[in-house]
Amino acid sequence: DAFRRSRARTRNMQAPGQGQVPVVYDEYGRPFIIVREQDRKTRVKGLDAYKANILAAQAVARTVRTSLGPRGMDKILQNPDGEVTVTNDGATILDQMEVENEIAKLLVQLSKSQDDEIGDGTTGVVVLAGSLLSQALGLLDRGIHPVRVMEGFELACEVAVKRLEAIADTVEVGSDHREAMITTAMTTLGSKVVSKHLRHMAEVAVDAVCSVADWERKDVRLDLIKMEQKPGGKMEDTALVQGIVIDKDFSHPQMPKVVNNAKIAILTCPFEPPKPKTKHSIQIDSVEKYDQMVEQERKYFSDMVKQVKDTGATLVICQWGFDDEANHLLYANDLPAVRWVGGVEMELIAIATGGRIVPRFSELSADKLGTAGTVEEITMGTQKDTMIVIRGCPEKKAVTVVVRGGNKMVVEEAERSLHDAICMTRNLIRDNRIVYGGGSAEIAASLAILEEADKVGTVEQYAMRAFADALDAIPMALAENSGLHPISSLADAKSRQSKESNPHLGVDCRALGTADMKEQGVFETLSGKIQQFRLATQVARMILKIDDVIQPSQYE
Amino acid sequence: MSNLVQPSIILLKEGTDDSQGIPQLLSNISACIAVVDCVKSTLGPRGMDKLIQGDRDITISNDGATIMALLDIVHPAAKTLVDIAKSQDSEVGDGTTSVVVLTGAFLNAAKPFIEDGVHPQIVRKFFRQALDMSIQFIESYAITYGATGDDKRTVLEKLAGTAMNSKLISAYKAFFAPMVVDAVMCLDEHLPIEMIGIKEVKGGAVQDSLLVKGVAFEKTFSYAGFEQQPKKIMNPKIVLLNMELELKSEKENAEVRISDPAEYQKIVDAEWSIIYDKLDKIVKSGATVVLSRLAIGDLATQYFADRDVFCAGRVPEEDLVRMAKACGGQVQTTVNDLHDEHLGTCGVLEEKQIGGKRFNVFTECPKSKTATIVLRGGAEQFIAESHRSLHDAIMIVRRAMKHDTIVPGGGAIEMALSKHLREHARTIRGKGQLIINEYAKALEVIPRTITENAGLDPTDVLNKLRQKHHAGEKYTGVDVNAGGVCNAYEALVWEPALIRTNALKAATEAAAVVLSVDETIRHPKSERDPEPSNPYPQRARPGGRR
Repeated sequence: DAFRRSRARTRNMQAPGQGQVPVVYDEYGRPFIIVREQDRKTRVKGLDAYKANILAAQAVARTVRTSLGPRGMDKILQNPDGEVTVTNDGATILDQMEVENEIAKLLVQLSKSQDDEIGDGTTGVVVLAGSLLSQALGLLDRGIHPVRVMEGFELACEVAVKRLEAIADTVEVGSDHREAMITTAMTTLGSKVVSKHLRHMAEVAVDAVCSVADWERKDVRLDLIKMEQKPGGKMEDTALVQGIVIDKDFSHPQMPKVVNNAKIAILTCPFEPPKPKTKHSIQIDSVEKYDQMVEQERKYFSDMVKQVKDTGATLVICQWGFDDEANHLLYANDLPAVRWVGGVEMELIAIATGGRIVPRFSELSADKLGTAGTVEEITMGTQKDTMIVIRGCPEKKAVTVVVRGGNKMVVEEAERSLHDAICMTRNLIRDNRIVYGGGSAEIAASLAILEEADKVGTVEQYAMRAFADALDAIPMALAENSGLHPISSLADAKSRQSKESNPHLGVDCRALGTADMKEQGVFETLSGKIQQFRLATQVARMILKIDDVIQPSQYE
Repeated sequence: MSNLVQPSIILLKEGTDDSQGIPQLLSNISACIAVVDCVKSTLGPRGMDKLIQGDRDITISNDGATIMALLDIVHPAAKTLVDIAKSQDSEVGDGTTSVVVLTGAFLNAAKPFIEDGVHPQIVRKFFRQALDMSIQFIESYAITYGATGDDKRTVLEKLAGTAMNSKLISAYKAFFAPMVVDAVMCLDEHLPIEMIGIKEVKGGAVQDSLLVKGVAFEKTFSYAGFEQQPKKIMNPKIVLLNMELELKSEKENAEVRISDPAEYQKIVDAEWSIIYDKLDKIVKSGATVVLSRLAIGDLATQYFADRDVFCAGRVPEEDLVRMAKACGGQVQTTVNDLHDEHLGTCGVLEEKQIGGKRFNVFTECPKSKTATIVLRGGAEQFIAESHRSLHDAIMIVRRAMKHDTIVPGGGAIEMALSKHLREHARTIRGKGQLIINEYAKALEVIPRTITENAGLDPTDVLNKLRQKHHAGEKYTGVDVNAGGVCNAYEALVWEPALIRTNALKAATEAAAVVLSVDETIRHPKSERDPEPSNPYPQRARPGGRR
């Protein structure tokens, strides 16, 4: 019986959401209780369910809509602990909003997946999904079956993807051809708080990626780029360090602040007598034995320092701590040391300096040491704010971006922006095809779909047109956020595109006098754009396919 | 039961509900039908999904078995439906909604007879008879591949495509169907389903999903030093372990007592030598890849890194088992006596970035009897539903590999059966005629529901279907695209015959079970809220069971 109970309980934990037709009575007037606690569940069905779901999705899309584009606005978000985030990044906004509604959560996940996969375009994808759903609502009202709407969307999406591939340009990408990458990074950063130092930030991002890129495999391991935030200073002080920056200091204040041509011992063992893992106790029953033990302990310390010294190391990086005695000994022996360095950083240091991580002192040898040009402890600002900078490493495979800025919020936002830019640069290395931004790609796709839609003989035709209309939401939002008249800007760009058959015409958000995005240098990666279209379509499809929502009703 | 001898005899505990007789039977039928109505709208290519919210997670699904399980049904008779959906799922893998809908229809057909006083046993008897006839008919009706002239692969792809028709991923069935068939083709003759791993990686479009002919698993938690290991190894020698490679105390509860401080170092050294001894043996065996189900500590990670050996600890057990099958190695629990024959190998080991995650991919395995599908998608629920759909498709393909008969879907088989049974019914004398006739009519529920869900007029379509079938076009089914009828066989809507026979069997059995129950005794406890926070305290009080 206990077993059954516990089983019932676990099942209930998995899915207590269920509701039922209010209460069913049989012919004899007795109510059925079919589903557990059915009176406490709510259930929405049919057209009402679609409408409720679509409205929820639209509400989410509306929230982020204003942060789209170069003139998009930021949001301020305060979490329950009172911590404040200021951001323009769609994924971050949605993540911090802590939405309750299940359908809205799908959109949050949508922007997150765009973030995971591409890194940028997180706002655009949500706006597009919201717009698709609004269009779908109109079709549902006209009595078109939701599945047909989805199928039409799917068809249209494929047309759009084909069109994008057709209008995409291939740019040259390589460590000597950075211009295209910088332009792309600038487009990504354009809408962010860092836009004042656009060029500088873009270069930092591209340099960082180029330093660690694997050109043969066309891949970039992003974890080799370390971001270090330091509030204070100006944003333009943000710099790329060819090497590693760790937020630590030398263990003894009197140790030299700079070590040139450092030979680094990278240790994962603490500077203290080794401890067996097995439970142990030492029984001391005489004074001699006690003395012997004290002596032995002291010997451990001096042996360790000697072992390190003997290998020729001039710097010790240690994963663990060491007590004052060891610290003093190291200082006395002219061995600068850094303690409590995290595992990930240890690894990066090992990779960059070409050293090996050594688990105990007896295994130290000269060939396991890493080398670096300089290791420096630098102080920033007026506070006692120090960092260890390791430069001149033989392997330039690990770099650090030090992000500076006026306050913590700005620095955090700048880091997010840089992360986006780095991701986009990586995407460009993977696939060097670009499309042009400013809504031009969406307009081109929309025109292509409209053309194709007329060839479709079934109801899907309407859904395809609706998809084309939904794509227009992006340039419209761009224009609106830039203070332009949305409809006239869109109409202008659209008519010029079809008249001049130039797919690079978009909305001139930055008022540069030309609507040609190729001239403006607004680059977006093709992969990112396709991904946006596909993800938005798929999530719209998922939401449209739900005709029944069963959930525990609110108690309030 | 006890209405003559009044309150003095209490046979059952207070609060026990014991309803009985024909009213109870009818009540059970109604309850089942109410449940069927819940899942009905998911049937067919235009079927919709359900969103079911739990305490923390939400599930969006089209899969009958999944929905039934999540509905958490407590009505004792209606629970039968959950069980048959489950059994269809484990037996065939697809057609779980069909089986529930069919049961509902059979019960509905039986209801008027029961109301009119026909004994339930008679209804059951003829239902069974009808079932036997149906199964015989399907055998003659089904088409074996040989007859189609198509090569097996195309048929399998079609079958997989039909299984995916009603699912979220139906638009990508052209993409997934070959993938599913490839995956199943990778397996050995027993087609063990657990040898197809499905990994979910959030992010990316569905089209970015990929099939790895071999084993792939996500990078496990790694310690410092891992990045210094090689990330691409050609023809690696793989050792699979089920042991920890960490510096640790060998016995949990052992304690060492030392009286001589000079001995201290020896203990430390002894522990180190134990682990180094293990590591040394592994490296000496010639292994270049070490996988363990248990942790591989930082010390071992660095040791391997120094010797250009790749390692991964805490590999999920199922992956390790699949690894063993694919590379031909055996999972070892000790490193003593490690020889070449215990080591596995494969063509290439490579660490690949898939979306935001890193995967260890082992391909070109010599004994590759396993495959991995990496699913991508925009939202967790999306991938979860794709996973379920692919699972169904895989099950179908597996079944089809073994049983080479297919039937056209889209309600065609049900219509043909219905016609056959009706014709037969006319030759029977007595009640059987009526009952079998109703059974035949109940079968039409499948095409009717498909049509309804597609937003078409069921009466209209059904009449056309009946007419076509009467004219001898026995493959005619519902055409949801054009809104009429079409030859389902030519439209390539194919299903393994097994789905249908099993669904019919299960549904008839379930209906028979419900029909044979005439009394329900429900213990008062079974309806109580298991959660402590009960908003109905008066109901929760009796019998402090905690």
